[in-house]
Amino acid sequence: MSPKAVTIVARLAIVLAVFGAWELAPRIDLVDIRLLPPLSEVLATLAQLLSTAKFWSHLGVTLGETLVAFLIAVPLGAVLGILIAESRFASEVFKPLVFFVFSIPKSIFLPIFILLFGITFTQKIAFGVFSTIFIVMMTAFAAIDSVREDHLRVARSYGATMFQTVMRVYLPSMTPVLLEAIRLAMIFNFTGILLAEMYASREGLGNLIGAWGQGYQLKELLAAILLVSAMSILFNEFIRYYEIKCEHWRS
Amino acid sequence: MTIDSAHQGAVEVSDLNHVYGANGQTRKVLDGISLKVESGKFVSIVGPSGCGKSSLLMMLAGLTRPTSGAIRASGKPVDKPDPQRIGVVFQDASLYPWLSARDNVEFPLSLRGVDKAVRRDKAMDALALVGLEAFAENFPHELSGGMKQRVSIARGLVQDPPILLMDEPFAALDEQTRISMGDELLRIWDKTRKTVIFVTHGLSEAIYLSDEVLVMSGRPGRLLDRVEIDLPRPRNLEMMSTPRFAELRELLWQQIKS
Repeated sequence: MSPKAVTIVARLAIVLAVFGAWELAPRIDLVDIRLLPPLSEVLATLAQLLSTAKFWSHLGVTLGETLVAFLIAVPLGAVLGILIAESRFASEVFKPLVFFVFSIPKSIFLPIFILLFGITFTQKIAFGVFSTIFIVMMTAFAAIDSVREDHLRVARSYGATMFQTVMRVYLPSMTPVLLEAIRLAMIFNFTGILLAEMYASREGLGNLIGAWGQGYQLKELLAAILLVSAMSILFNEFIRYYEIKCEHWRS
Repeated sequence: MTIDSAHQGAVEVSDLNHVYGANGQTRKVLDGISLKVESGKFVSIVGPSGCGKSSLLMMLAGLTRPTSGAIRASGKPVDKPDPQRIGVVFQDASLYPWLSARDNVEFPLSLRGVDKAVRRDKAMDALALVGLEAFAENFPHELSGGMKQRVSIARGLVQDPPILLMDEPFAALDEQTRISMGDELLRIWDKTRKTVIFVTHGLSEAIYLSDEVLVMSGRPGRLLDRVEIDLPRPRNLEMMSTPRFAELRELLWQQIKS
């Protein structure tokens, strides 16, 4: 077996072992079955949930909020970040401030968002954007830094216009870092939305997770955890696939 | 010897001065540089690091504005980059990693909106000239340092400018590659007969390649001397061990040292 195959087999083995233990441990009374229902039962619950329109409507609410917050936070954060990084003065003033704010856990601001916006769609979006925008701005700073001076000089020496330079040098130079921004943004964004729903909401996946946790409904709770995990990993890997494709652009 | 300044490919610099100012301090980079390069000649500029030879080249390329003085290329003033008149090859090949070798060579043409088929033909011709047509579809990270620099030369030549400026193009390469790239460049030059202005800090490299070597002194950059290289062409590696080569090298070395 090639070293690469060995790694893949080892990885699969770990995942299978975790799932196997999950299935077996409650069945042989190693853990309380009320606290950890076997994997097969959780999967059956998930399938059952996915067959109800009600669950889909909750899921739709969460995905809708996530998407709207994402579509606001990423372009806004990218544009703000690029504008700040492009001006020396703005860089010196704003960069440290963005770093400061980034280091504060965003969850502590959630009650303030509820006081400001009530328990509403707007509140979820606002908190999602707030959770996300700083990481996008910081990645955008890195994106501007990744544009190489000599690449710009080549464009200039061949008479590129401002627009051509943006389209043919800035954009492709920044693509790998911007893809990373999208990936990280989604993690922060999804976390923010789910948290906001768990804390105070009337609908959504986070709302269900919160309620199931309080009601000791472990099968449903774990089914939701599996679903959120799968969705997050899928989105992350989808972006990472393109990131790897242009990995050699960063030299 | 008469120099027709209107001649295609001739370069003329008169009384060029450049002052660099930053943080309230000013520093004279270039001091009263005047020079003439005849069409089709291979001329090197040597000097200690920081003598302003690269700055001078960037001004010839229209990338930097001198504080005062005039530059004419092919009889016309140079005040901004004009890639159809002047091609530039930089120290780092500076290829775009997201473009194939061919797309990199096509880049100057595509900026001008040249027709796709024409662009492709010209790029392939230029790649053939540097011996890399087989690597047209490869990306820069798949090419060696020497190959990257050859693609960069092809990019400089693709619009067939009469003048090619080269800023220490082989400085980042290992010794062996540098020597073979020198021969490669001479072969290309012999075929195209461009005016080449070649900045280097390698004295042997300058002598080996050039018709003339211009010697600069540092801080502020002044033109010290102009040395005619009377070695016969075509040049070959054996010439590097001739007494004449050593004599020329000594002559340049003494001036740079002082």
